[in-house]
Amino acid sequence: MDDKALDNLEIAPPEVVLHAAHDFAAALAETPEFKAFEQAAYRLEHDPAAARAREAFMAKRASLEALIRLNAVPAKDQAELDRLAQAYLGLACVTEYQSAETGLRVLCQALAGLISQPTGLDFAAASSSGCCG
Amino acid sequence: METNDVKITKDLQEAVSALAVNLGQSEPFAAYRQAIQALEADPRAGDLLRRLAQAQTAMRTRQSQSGIPQADIDALRHLQREAQANETILSFSESQQAAIAYIREINQEISQMLGVDFGALARRSCC
Repeated sequence: MDDKALDNLEIAPPEVVLHAAHDFAAALAETPEFKAFEQAAYRLEHDPAAARAREAFMAKRASLEALIRLNAVPAKDQAELDRLAQAYLGLACVTEYQSAETGLRVLCQALAGLISQPTGLDFAAASSSGCCG
Repeated sequence: METNDVKITKDLQEAVSALAVNLGQSEPFAAYRQAIQALEADPRAGDLLRRLAQAQTAMRTRQSQSGIPQADIDALRHLQREAQANETILSFSESQQAAIAYIREINQEISQMLGVDFGALARRSCC
């Protein structure tokens, strides 16, 4: 595009956009959803029972990795893997974390939608190269 | 304010509006908007993009069903070369990539402050 055309538009300087991004992050950090998520993440990270349950599940899964890839896990091992997963997922600190994460996710989706409107590009979809990246 | 049953406080509403407006008025997005306008004003480029999209869709459908005839592959490659040589399309594509890169930069700033990836949390679906 030619510079003359850009000169005719009202352009927000990069430092202004950056400042707006920082203000936005600060405002988001003050929301009940974000605070609940932070607290739930801290509790999960520091819960010894959750750590033990997670480790037990991960160890069992690692021991079955080759069979999982071949889709050939014996029923008895699969049942044990499911039991360990449920033992972890059933812990109060895990369900609290999942609930807090869902709350924050819903808020972030709404906010990203609002940011996307005037730009014409989906902020959330554009913000990383891969879905799980 | 409420957006799809999500309550957004006044402070957050003001902050998100300011970010949206400023991001929309940033240089990469001004250039992107101009490239869209140029694309809309160029029927040849628009037609070429439509034909390319149709050919890509047809190719994907055939790929999942059976083999793809060489003639279809050649036709798609020809359309791709034509699109790559079209200045309006090239300018649109470059400005779009620049706008996406800017979004990533801004997302990184937000995420660094929060300690979590804002864009990842905001994505509606994942693998």
